[in-house]
Amino acid sequence: MTEPVISFDDLSVSFPTDDGMVRAVRNVSFDVEPGEVMAVVGESGSGKSVTALAAMRLHPGSAEITGEIRFGGRDLLGIGEKEMRRVRGNGIAMIFQDPMTALNPVMKVGAQIAEMVLIHDDVSKKEAWTRAADLLESVGVPEPGRRVKQYPHEFSGGMRQRAMIAMAIANGPDLLIADEPTTALDVTIQAQVLEVMKTAQEATGAAILLITHDLGVVAGIADRVVVMYGGRVFESGSADQVFYRSQNPYTRGLMSSIPRLDAPKGERLIPIPGTPPNVLNPPSGCAFGPRCTFASDSCHESHAELMSVGFDGTHRSRCHKLAELPDLFAAAETR
Amino acid sequence: MTNDPTTLPAHGDPVLRVENLVKDFPIQAGFFRRQVGLVQAVSGVSLEIHEHETLGVVGESGCGKTTLGRTILRLLDATSGSVTYKGESVTGASNSRMRELRRHMQIVFQDPFASLNPRMPVREIIAEPLRIHGESRAAASARANELIDAVGLLSDYGNRYPHEFSGGQRQRIGIARALALQPTLIILDEPVSALDVSVQAQVVNLLEDLQNEFKLSYMFIAHDLSVVRHISDRVAVMYLGKVVEVADRDSIYDRPSHPYTQSLLSAVPVADPHAERNRRRIVLEGDLPSPAAVPSGCRFRTRCPIATERCSVEEPEIRLMAEGHEVACHFPLSPGESLIEVAAARGR
Repeated sequence: MTEPVISFDDLSVSFPTDDGMVRAVRNVSFDVEPGEVMAVVGESGSGKSVTALAAMRLHPGSAEITGEIRFGGRDLLGIGEKEMRRVRGNGIAMIFQDPMTALNPVMKVGAQIAEMVLIHDDVSKKEAWTRAADLLESVGVPEPGRRVKQYPHEFSGGMRQRAMIAMAIANGPDLLIADEPTTALDVTIQAQVLEVMKTAQEATGAAILLITHDLGVVAGIADRVVVMYGGRVFESGSADQVFYRSQNPYTRGLMSSIPRLDAPKGERLIPIPGTPPNVLNPPSGCAFGPRCTFASDSCHESHAELMSVGFDGTHRSRCHKLAELPDLFAAAETR
Repeated sequence: MTNDPTTLPAHGDPVLRVENLVKDFPIQAGFFRRQVGLVQAVSGVSLEIHEHETLGVVGESGCGKTTLGRTILRLLDATSGSVTYKGESVTGASNSRMRELRRHMQIVFQDPFASLNPRMPVREIIAEPLRIHGESRAAASARANELIDAVGLLSDYGNRYPHEFSGGQRQRIGIARALALQPTLIILDEPVSALDVSVQAQVVNLLEDLQNEFKLSYMFIAHDLSVVRHISDRVAVMYLGKVVEVADRDSIYDRPSHPYTQSLLSAVPVADPHAERNRRRIVLEGDLPSPAAVPSGCRFRTRCPIATERCSVEEPEIRLMAEGHEVACHFPLSPGESLIEVAAARGR
């Protein structure tokens, strides 16, 4: 097996707030392999975005952070700011939900992409601009020669997203982190952007760490999936394992609560009762315990460890009832 | 503004009839705010909603679906066209009559964080419409308690303030307030899109239960085609201010006839990896044109893979394709016909 591109090892991130300490990420561990698409799925407050931001060291300065994030043979949490700046853009690039947060509004799009090229490669300015146009073309921006000379406000939402992807892949990063890249887009534009991300990945061979709440997007693009809830990993495995053979009550609940375009019509939705946990005052024991139909006393006392399901160690789940789950799920289905 | 009260009754008199509704917004510029252009957000929309029916209205941003809902309730004044509620003109109603009509037509907004007064306890928020319509404090309060119970909140929540509630709970409060005056029609404007996915289903189920209990009619405005499919009896698809296709739910989802409807449906990701891997997706080219500069002829033609010369010259009228299935397209797709194949056959 090859070395992972990035390894999160026992990562915890906490923020002091006026109302107390928020433990946003709790002992999160997972790897991303070269060239794969790893999706981190969760709802608001699950800790998925904070995990991604920590890998770019973009978390707020007041955050308390422990554990390791290993990338390219070093711990990103232990290196200096100068070295980290080299990692950003070259090694790891980020695609944000709102492209205007990543694009400079008073700089031509071509100049911004060329700037990325110049940081990495010793080429002439003219060569860098040519590369910028090529990159825009590769992400499907029509008339790239004219578009490089425009400002971000002259681009539509979908085109800005493409420009940001072009910037992100400019230096051939090993890892692309995409934080809800399609959430703000209309479905027809979302389909375009996902297509572009797939193409860009195939062309550069970069791994993608995709942060999203949209299970449909995950199903379309992910090789492996990490499901987060209340700051912890609740389940991880291949897309097929998590979608078809989930061994976690939260994942199962989430899957059956969403209306699907291909579901039989007229069927009632099965909601998860209650609300996601309060980050300031999480429940004791399992974070999902208060909403879980299978929970018993032990679930409210302590949280379960992330355990291997099956034999090859690729599928993991966190649940006190792991051994009984197949029976519990079967019984629930016949109810 | 004119309206014609002698409209023909369809199968069962509709609760709401919208005819040729137009809503323009002027674009102003300069120091004197001179009008330099016009955005036609709603551009001649005709629709009906029947008793105990849910009409889903779908479309992407800028298609005019939210403006449509607000213009129907006269939260915005229509530029032209008419809205009738059970045969009575809404667009032509006097202010005092409009206040009466609002008893019957309510709205629930998307953002449960912006639509509730933060300084009012929940019971008062729900009782406020009743007080405005002349109920005594005691009667309004008693009714508010019933409604708190009806939307699945605990009775002692009535004394709490909106900030103490989660998004899903706030949306329940918004729904309870809309129900206070016992309306027959509720316009739901993206009622679940701000909620966490695990909470959306709770609110969708609640809306279904309330509809059955109180025999409500809904206009369910949303961009999420999966939720609309789940809750709607009939669906209207909008594009740049126009209804391009309207039909019963099964026809829209199983036999979409307008190229835009087919593209929209094919773009929706499905939470099933096998299905996604085997799917042929129609990826539309280009972006939505600006509503301030709509294309000539058919508004969808700039992105349509099968558009011809005719589409740029002649605007397609909405016409009946099959029983209850209306489409505005010069080249509507027949049942079972796929846009990808038709486009390929034409060498596109």
